[in-house]
Formats: sequence, structure tokens, C-alpha cells
Amino acid sequence: MKEIGHGNFQRRIAIMVGAGYIPGLNAVILGAALAAGKLGWEIVGIRDGFDGLLYPDRYSDGGLLTLSPELVANLDPTASGLLGQAPRIDPFHVRRVNDDDMVEEVDMSDELLKRLKKEDIDAVISVVGGRGLSILFKLHRKGLNAVCVPRSIENDIAATAVSFGFNSALSFTIEMLDRVRQAAQSARKIAVVEVLGDQAGWLALQAGIAVCADAVLIPEIPCDLQTLAARLKDKVTPRRPYGLVVVAEGAKFLEDIQTQTVKPSVNSLKASLSPLATGDASDHVIRKSGQAAETVATRLQLLIAEETFPLVLGPWVRGGTPTAVDRQLALGYGAGAVRAVEAGSYGSMVTFVPPDMKFVPLTDTINKIRTVPSDSMFMQIASSLGIFLGREL
Amino acid sequence: MTPTTNASAPSGIVLNIQRYCSHDGPGIRTNVFLKGCSLRCKWCGNPESIAFKPELSYDPRKCTGKKACGVCLKAPFPEGGFYVVEGADDTIHVNWDLAGDCDEALASLCPTGALEMFGKRMTADEVLAEVEKDASIYRSTGGGITLSGGECLLQPDFSAALLKGAHERGMNTAIETACNVPWKFLEQVLPHVDTMLHDHKLTNTERHKKWTGVGNERVLANFKKAYETFPDIDFVARTPLIPGINADEEHIRAVLAFIRPHKNVIDYELLPYHRFGLGKYLSLGVVYELDDYKTPSDDLVKHLQAIIDEAFGRTGGTR
Ligand code: SF4
Repeated sequence: MKEIGHGNFQRRIAIMVGAGYIPGLNAVILGAALAAGKLGWEIVGIRDGFDGLLYPDRYSDGGLLTLSPELVANLDPTASGLLGQAPRIDPFHVRRVNDDDMVEEVDMSDELLKRLKKEDIDAVISVVGGRGLSILFKLHRKGLNAVCVPRSIENDIAATAVSFGFNSALSFTIEMLDRVRQAAQSARKIAVVEVLGDQAGWLALQAGIAVCADAVLIPEIPCDLQTLAARLKDKVTPRRPYGLVVVAEGAKFLEDIQTQTVKPSVNSLKASLSPLATGDASDHVIRKSGQAAETVATRLQLLIAEETFPLVLGPWVRGGTPTAVDRQLALGYGAGAVRAVEAGSYGSMVTFVPPDMKFVPLTDTINKIRTVPSDSMFMQIASSLGIFLGREL
Repeated sequence: MTPTTNASAPSGIVLNIQRYCSHDGPGIRTNVFLKGCSLRCKWCGNPESIAFKPELSYDPRKCTGKKACGVCLKAPFPEGGFYVVEGADDTIHVNWDLAGDCDEALASLCPTGALEMFGKRMTADEVLAEVEKDASIYRSTGGGITLSGGECLLQPDFSAALLKGAHERGMNTAIETACNVPWKFLEQVLPHVDTMLHDHKLTNTERHKKWTGVGNERVLANFKKAYETFPDIDFVARTPLIPGINADEEHIRAVLAFIRPHKNVIDYELLPYHRFGLGKYLSLGVVYELDDYKTPSDDLVKHLQAIIDEAFGRTGGTR
């Protein structure tokens, strides 16, 4: 057993979480801590993204939380707040106020690597979303032994079948849609509900299927609003005087595309985010929340003799406790990340493609988006259920 | 942040030189935008002026795509910096986290100019030669040069040289500043300034810190010292008016109370916020905060303007 100055542990690794709340982050940490403990490794949690490493003086424990067996034994896997979060996790552009009281962004990646070395931490597991994967790839290229766990409410991270966090969002979305349906029923109106999904329509599609919505509009299938109106005209009858349309935030409309002067690619900003953004991490997302629901509700009301009302679920679905599926996934991803570290598979992301949990190079996942393919089983199910998917398929 | 200090051959990072401007100082003017800012206002309409160094921009309208070109998809461009989306068109997308460090040498490899650098180093003489092209218009309209940004006071040697050179050529000089800089920078530049347009963003220092990144103590101290030290400068106070942040009577009255004792503060202008610059944000990959800030209503602007007019003894309502 190699002594490295931290008790009798064979090696010391760390885990951190990226920006944004996802249900069940503690379960990933728990999975990693149990798996590391089994190998005789010490694992520490970095507080608030990378802040615990970059600003140790701000923390009474030096910014690193030792995930001791006692702490792990009492860790609540349904919570998410153990390590805290930072609004930004980009060590290449850390915003600070300098001695001259001027705001600036500085590259602290060297300090980050130095501090890891000083702490004898030789690998870092990062629970991150799409943008975090690019930053971890950059750090990996600089020498960090990085292993990533994918987390995504929208399930749009490529190379894995299910990101952790998606199932919890899906369950809550379905619960909310059931309630909206009741409201639409009693008000005799068509509810148009916008759910998250800027570039991938998984959440809208799977939730829409579960509640047997009248229509589901996803970014992958530009919607013909005239046809949608015609379909709803048929569906909303005196015996069933209401409707339910689920629309993904990033849904596109044929009439917009036909009149567009700029190439559509410039809209794909979520995959083209800048380190130069002027605000916190949340500012990196185009704040177009509500626009898709508004467009559909307004257009429908103009095209047919029915009353509509738009609703936006948006960030509501990010909170809460993890579902059973997400708890298992999170524990599995945490343990899988430790296996990747053990295998020396750095610069990788843990993936779950049933029945396997594997690791793939980060280059297999960054700059890609997991969208709904046209031959998806879910499209076929929706079609069989009579759910309109934006145009006649 | 590395303000220029070489006074013998002053040069600086210039973002843009805009001719025939009429809003930032008297007459017809040429605005010279310098790069680099010491604040991070959340509503910033000039995101390309924030960083001090030149930075990459991408214009998808100029790009001919992967099949016709694809130069940026290979070395020496950084791995993963540029990509196409599988199954979609062959348009190039930029991963700004991986491509953001590209320099001029790399950008110049793009054959169509879709990749360009925002900002380039220029000497004061080069800028003045450009500005002088409109010298006859300045003379007939009382116009001249306005240094803007970013924060032009962050490059004090360069700014001082530009303004001094402009004075020597008989032009009127103006600067646009937020004044979040050490006093010594102001001291160096203001002797060459005829008009100073300066931003009173928020009155409360904690809220100033929340929305711009730093408190306003030094900014206000600089304003006051500038009013007192340079009695011959025409100072024009300004507020970028943003509902929910500073578009309220209390702020306007606080600014008036601050400036009115100083007779060389000749005016207070409101700049109603509007959503300009979306194209720039797209080019830079900076995501525009589309629905964060609303444009103030005409009624609100009129109401606040009337308070200012009253304080300045102007009658007849809005200008
Ligand atoms: S090098 Fe320029 S024109 Fe060529 S693909 Fe890249 S961005 Fe487009």
C-alpha cells in the first residue's frame, strides 16, 4: 500500500459538481464515495464547483470536504446540497475584483492544477452538464485526470442513453401536465404548456406520451401551425371541449423558418457558449422562456374558434427529490466514475447504454447533442396514440 | 488587465472607429471605441468591448461551411473548437469554451473572413489619421473626437495622446466614461478633454456592486474630484435607464442632488435602455439576456425627464 501522506489510503481523488441544481446530486457523491472506499481510496468533495480549490481561505475546512465513512454512512441520497454549487465553474475565466477595484477575468487553471497536486489529489470526478464537459475537456488537455458524470434535465448529452436528472424532471412534468389537463377541462380551453428542451425534445415527447397530449412540438420537427390548428379543430368537440399541447422551449415553426433571413445554425447557441458572457452561468442560456408557448397559443387562437392559454413549466422541474430511477442512476454513475478512474480512463465520461455502464472519451460527447431521431420508438408510440407531432408523419 | 504605459509611442486596443456620430458630444463626431472595461454591467450593450485583449468573433453568414471549406475543423485550430452538427447542414458551430483563445494568426486562416478578431492594436497617429478624414465637418459643426468603450480611461497614455493630438488638430474632444479607475488615470487624461460624458448607474453602492461588479464609492469620489479639479470641462451626467434597476425617481433625484451644486455639470441625460446589439452577441457567442431587461415606457421616460428639466430650470416639458 502506497503512503501518500493521507493516512493509509492508496490514493486520493476528488469529486465536484457543476452549476445548477439537479435532484439527487448527493446520490452521485454517495455512489463515488462508497466505490472509492471499497478500493481503499480517500475521496474529498470540492465545495462550490471549483471554488473550494481556488479560494481555500474562504472555507473553514479549506474548501475540501473529506467524505469520511461516517459522513457517507449518514448522507441523504435524496438531497443535493452537500458540496454546494457555484454559478460558474470555468477556471480559465474566473471573474474577480482586482486590487485596483476593477472587475476582470483571469485564468486560474494553473493554480487549480497546482492546488490539486499539493493536496495529492490525482483524479477529479465532475458531475457536469453540456458546457461543463467542454471545460473539463480543456482541463484534461492541460493535464487534469478528469472523469465526468453526465447530468441533464433535458437528456440531451450525447453518447449516453439517460443522463442523471432527466427522470426526475420527467416525473414532475407529467404530474404538472395532469393538473393542467384538469384546469383545461374545467375551463374548456386549450392549454399550451412549454417544457424545457432547447435542442432536444425528449422531455416534451415522453411527458406528452404519458399524458396522451393532443400534440407535442419538439425542436427536431419544425411545426406546421396550420396543420396543428386543423388537428385541434377536429379533436376539440362539444363532448371533449378542451385540448392539451406540449411544446418544447426550442420548438421551431415552419413559417418562421421560411421567413428567416439568418441561417438557422446561429440559433444553436446553447452549444456555442462563450467564456465571455457578461453574467453568471445562468446568463449563458438564452432567456427565451415562454416564447414558444406564447407563439403556439396566440397562433391557434387566431386560426380556430377556440380559447387557448399558455403556461411555462420551465425551471420548476429542476428542483425536488430524485425519482427511484434517478437515485439508482446517480449511484451507478458515481460508482462508474470511480471505476473509470481505477481503469485510468481519463478525459472520459461515464455513459449508461443499457445494459452497460461504460466510459467514452469526452470527444465523443462534446459538440454533439442527443436529439430525438426520426425513427425513435417514442415517435412511433406517439404516432400510434394519435398524438400530433408538428406535421403529418 | 494591462493598461498601456508606453508613453513614447502610445498605442492601444481599438475596437472600432465610427464616423458621423451626433449623440456623444457637440457637432458631428467620430467615436473611437477602445477595448477593455473595469465593470460588468449586466445590461451591457457592447459585450465585445469588455475584454481588454482582441478576441475571436464568428459571423455564420460569411462562412461557406464544412464541405466548401472546413479549414477551422482541422489543426492548427484547437480540437473541438469548431464543429458541425451531425445530420444537420454543414454549417460551422463554435464551441466558445474551446475556441475562445484563438488569436489573430489563427483567425486569418479563415478564407472568407467569417472568423475575425474584434479589436486591434493601433498607434495614436494611425487613429488620428483616420479621424482627420472628417476634419472639415468637425470644424463646420463644432464636432470632433469622442473616446468611448469599454472604458477609455483604462488606456490612459493612449487616450491622452489621442485627445492631445486631436486638440492640436483643432478638434473638440469628448470622452465617455464610467470612471471606475484610479484617479491618476483621470488626472492624466482630463487636461485634454472638452466634454466628459459620465455614467451615474446606481445610487446605492450595494446595488451598484450587484449590477456592475463593484461598489460606487470610488466612482462618485472621482466624479466629484473631476468636477472640482477641472472647472473648464463641460460635464454631462448620464443614466442608462433600465426598469427594475434604476428607472425610478429616487435615483434621478439622488443624481440631481449630487450634480447640481457643480455648475460645470451642464446637463443630465437619460439613455432609455433598448435591446440593441443582438447581432454582436451572436457573433461573439455571448448569449443575449433577451427578456431580462425591459425597455422603459415613454411615459416613464417623460416623467423622469420632466424632473431633470425642472432641476435645470428648463420649461416646456420634454426635449
Ligand atoms: S475557416 Fe471560416 S469559412 Fe472556413 S469553415 Fe471555418 S469559419 Fe467557415
